[in-house]
Amino acid sequence: MAAKQSLSFALEPRASVTLDDYVVDCAWSPDGTQLVVAGGEGKVALLGAGPAGMSVEIVGEHLLGTLAVAWQPHGRRFASAGQDGAVVIRDAENGREIARFKPGMGAAQALAFAPNGELLAVAAGKVVSLWTPAGEKVHAFAPASSTAVALAFDKPGIDIGVALNGEIAVHRIENSRYETRRYKWPAPSLTVNFSGNGRFLASGMADGTLHFWNRSTGKDSQMRGYDGKVQLVGWSDNSRYLATSAGNDVVLWDFSGRGPEGTRPVVLSGHTDRVDCIAWQPGGEHLVSGGRDWRLALWRPAKAREAIDVQMADSDISALRWSPDGKRVAVGEKHGRLTVFELVAR
Amino acid sequence: MSVIPSRVPVTVLTGFLGSGKTTLLNRILSEKHGKRIAVIENEFGEVGVDSELVIGAEEELFETNNGCICCTVRGDLIRILGQLMKRRDRFDYILIETTGMADPGPVAQTFFLDDELKTQFALDAIVTMVDAKHFEQHVDELNEPAEQVAFADLVLLNKTDLVDEAALARIESRIRGINGTAKIHRTKNADVPIDKVLNVGAFDLNRALQVDEAFLEPEYPFEWGGVYSLTPGDYLLKAAGEHDHAAHDHGAHDHGHEHHDHEHEHGGHSHKHEDLELVVLPVPEATPTALKDALERAVRGFAEPATVVNCHGTLAATAAHYAVDISHAGADFTLSVKQPGAYALFFEHHPLEFGLHLVGQRPAAERKFASHHHEDDISSIGISDPRPLDPAKLNQWLDYLLKTRGQDIFRMKGVLNVKGEDRRQVFHGVHMMFDAQPERLWGAAPRMNNLVFIGRGLDRAEFEAGFESAVAK
Repeated sequence: MAAKQSLSFALEPRASVTLDDYVVDCAWSPDGTQLVVAGGEGKVALLGAGPAGMSVEIVGEHLLGTLAVAWQPHGRRFASAGQDGAVVIRDAENGREIARFKPGMGAAQALAFAPNGELLAVAAGKVVSLWTPAGEKVHAFAPASSTAVALAFDKPGIDIGVALNGEIAVHRIENSRYETRRYKWPAPSLTVNFSGNGRFLASGMADGTLHFWNRSTGKDSQMRGYDGKVQLVGWSDNSRYLATSAGNDVVLWDFSGRGPEGTRPVVLSGHTDRVDCIAWQPGGEHLVSGGRDWRLALWRPAKAREAIDVQMADSDISALRWSPDGKRVAVGEKHGRLTVFELVAR
Repeated sequence: MSVIPSRVPVTVLTGFLGSGKTTLLNRILSEKHGKRIAVIENEFGEVGVDSELVIGAEEELFETNNGCICCTVRGDLIRILGQLMKRRDRFDYILIETTGMADPGPVAQTFFLDDELKTQFALDAIVTMVDAKHFEQHVDELNEPAEQVAFADLVLLNKTDLVDEAALARIESRIRGINGTAKIHRTKNADVPIDKVLNVGAFDLNRALQVDEAFLEPEYPFEWGGVYSLTPGDYLLKAAGEHDHAAHDHGAHDHGHEHHDHEHEHGGHSHKHEDLELVVLPVPEATPTALKDALERAVRGFAEPATVVNCHGTLAATAAHYAVDISHAGADFTLSVKQPGAYALFFEHHPLEFGLHLVGQRPAAERKFASHHHEDDISSIGISDPRPLDPAKLNQWLDYLLKTRGQDIFRMKGVLNVKGEDRRQVFHGVHMMFDAQPERLWGAAPRMNNLVFIGRGLDRAEFEAGFESAVAK
């Protein structure tokens, strides 16, 4: 794809490490000095991402695959979950296990820490449960009608959304009281995404639709025209754009003004194969995308429809995460490489 | 980047509870084959499959197209298989075990409908395990056993040691009636060579479609024929089992397991009368050719009214159609031969079902004919015809068929002789999902259309008329 060099930002590789596993996902420590990596074959790796280069320590393993990792906001702990059904909470100082539990029948599919770092939500099979960072059970919601595949807290940390087959359940947690609201659509929901401004709940669906609900009116809007399952959905930090992808293009819905209903989306094209990950910059307006064409693309949709920088990876890009300060991006690959890029002005 | 990894084969294992699926899985996993096999199990934690590579799944159905059962897929499989492929050392093989009551349709459709899975996995075969001991009971009481058989590429008739030969023949004939093309293997304790079950390539269009030749023959009203060389005299034609005259004469009932009559087995007091139709024909010689040449006469013979022969009655060895009463075990009849020569016998059902045989005589040649029993609502229709097809009309017919009968057609496959094409055109489908492509050149081989449809409530006349409409004029 043609990169437009006139705009002033680019990504530069800073440090790289090769893990003996497929990078499924990764999570930054709040101070941006460490990363925890989920391996497709099951390894959990703790990386030092300091200025001196990268260190690697394999701290644990989930048999048949690690499915999710999450770092405690403001904290020194991280959690991993896997196909073996286990959730493990570890100490970031030394990687040592603090707690280990099996929250339900079947694989532990998704993890989410509350924004204040005091609660860990876990989806395992049909059960969503809440735990303290020390691994004590706080609450388990009644089993859902299907496997919970994704979890997310809203920004205030009061609501937790659960992607299910046929609905998104939103559990409200207030003073240890629990209430559930259901947003229904008859297809498997694959993602759950609260907008930062609290106004919308979005979800990508297996039937090739994107839905978003206005949270104050409950009105459901459906966006169609995708080639396949809408697996990637992400709100920009300022809640203006909702980035989505179901194929080679990144499709942006603009929520400024009267919102995206009835409008045509902005299509960010350039990838020549399926996009497998997207990530919005915290505190900024950059978006990165990557996938099976090995390309890492940097976009600034408010300014340009073309990628402002493109970098090549060594294999399929399988994970993209911005550091909490929005200055670096961790890029994980199918063949085990993890590279930290820095966003630089040119 | 240019290396395209080969697709990982997937075998779907269906079968009723207790049919031996777990035993088979454990056998496959414990054998030293050097393959990394992952098992996706649907009967969660219920049974111990002896491997670490077992993933529990809960059947999650969803319709990709509103309200269309043909577009129903398994969301859980899409998710789990996607996660399993996130490894550098990939699995060599995937086995998916469905629950006893599952409809295999959505599992197969998932591999046709999901773009991601399509590129990474190749459906190898649907294997259905049948419990020989309980199949007949289950198939009469429930829909699922017949559906599972209908979807199968391979049927493992298991627990054969628990029933006798007559029952096995009966069950095989019933399975054949439902699914005319599946391979049937008899097994004890699920013991079957692994290469018979894995890498079968049933969905591989590049491999010649293997359709049971006998199935593609016209429908015959008989399942077995044999020729004998006989000198004049009386021959005993006898069903298996001891005929207990005393009991019979006093109206009591023999509960012997040789009985084909279910009413007996259940101890009822009605005495159901059961006939087996047969045709006797003098033929020029006792050879396979003579047997083949006699087929048309045999069909005509079956069309004539039958003479009913009671137990101990006599059949004349002249061209005739009889219905012999085989209500009791060990029923016997006399075949009276006046002229020395060759005689052909054609039986409505396979003689093994009743152990019916000509005592002391072996046929010089014999042949089985595909069963066309329609005791089940689900059946197979085969069409075999050499005439070239018009590609546009063929598409029209297949489109119409998929639209109107897609829900009823479980499986279809075929090799087509399309006008103007040098290559065989092959196709297969599951419900409305349909794949077709040109295959190898006809070359010197005789051009022939062979099509098979397996489904519920299929009407042969409708399919034949449809085929006729596609023949190039």
